[in-house]
Amino acid sequence: MALYLEMFIVFVRIGFCSFGGLSMVPVINQEMLSHGWMNLQEVTDIVAIAEMTPGPLGINCATFVGMRTGGIIGALCATLGVLVPSLTLCFLAAVFIEKLKGNPVMANVMYGIRPVCIGLVLYVLYTLSASNFLPEGSFYLVPVVIALIVGLISWKFKLSVPVLILIAAGLGLLLV
Amino acid sequence: MGLTKSEKWKRAFIVLRVMFKVGFFTWGGGWSIVAQLQKEFIEKRDWLSQEELMDIISVGRSLPGIMIINIGVIFGYHIGGVPGVFCSVLGIASPSVIVMCIVTGFYMQVRDNIYVAKALVGVRAAVIPIIGGAALKMRKTAWINYGGYIITAAAFSLCVFTDLHNIIIVIGGAVAGLILKGGKRNGTVS
Repeated sequence: MALYLEMFIVFVRIGFCSFGGLSMVPVINQEMLSHGWMNLQEVTDIVAIAEMTPGPLGINCATFVGMRTGGIIGALCATLGVLVPSLTLCFLAAVFIEKLKGNPVMANVMYGIRPVCIGLVLYVLYTLSASNFLPEGSFYLVPVVIALIVGLISWKFKLSVPVLILIAAGLGLLLV
Repeated sequence: MGLTKSEKWKRAFIVLRVMFKVGFFTWGGGWSIVAQLQKEFIEKRDWLSQEELMDIISVGRSLPGIMIINIGVIFGYHIGGVPGVFCSVLGIASPSVIVMCIVTGFYMQVRDNIYVAKALVGVRAAVIPIIGGAALKMRKTAWINYGGYIITAAAFSLCVFTDLHNIIIVIGGAVAGLILKGGKRNGTVS
């Protein structure tokens, strides 16, 4: 019971810290590692899995963690948690939408939060690079090559993310 | 909005059906959901106008939470009140919950398989440029002027040099936004 409640609360926090796209990855990473619910590799896997399956990352991740640590009930608790900001803040916003349109306070708050999100994402990139490219302190060339190839392909040919992940899986099979 | 209770529920069930379908075909970021809503509810049923949808999206995007669900909540309320919210969220969320429950079980089974492990080395490496690309996409709305660069650098440094929780850093960003830009427009900001 305590586990379910904790999972719910953690995902409420994660929900309140997400501002579009992958900006929730840093918070997920920090919470999962500090609770010992996932390791860094699993967080990376869940990002890839979430990109390959339908639905938003937040829900996919909540279901994944909840399912693993507390079965179906855990999955439901975590998923409900991540929905709380939408169900509270956005519900209020829906009622008062006329007043919120073009509100300068919101614009100013977002002016400060959006750059923070980039900073947090950059830090996750730094941790992920360290764990993938320097596992156990020694340089590992294959992931660097794969990351460069995938980066180049996505920059040159605007492929969708699921396709990029499939390509990377193929490269992994070939090169590892 | 002048609808009776049964009308609201009738509309809500249509929302549930459409959202469930949309939920299964929304990959990643999910801008495709906007196009789907346009087709289903503006062109086909004429339940709201293009401008109303744009307002819903812009408010949903600027609040914390999962963007698609945010839009779903405001959209659902607009279409069918509280029943609309309920059906809209249930519709978008349940496909991913169902799929992920299956995928999670599968992942636990196969992740130690030697070929899967090899493929996962590639997949994990690819997540780095994928997240990098997402960060690049955020830069246009985030770095409006030099203040943006400074806030990003400050947030990154706080992550590297302190153990502060991300929530604290995000709240710090909100405060910085209010201080740096607060009160510049209309004088309505206190």
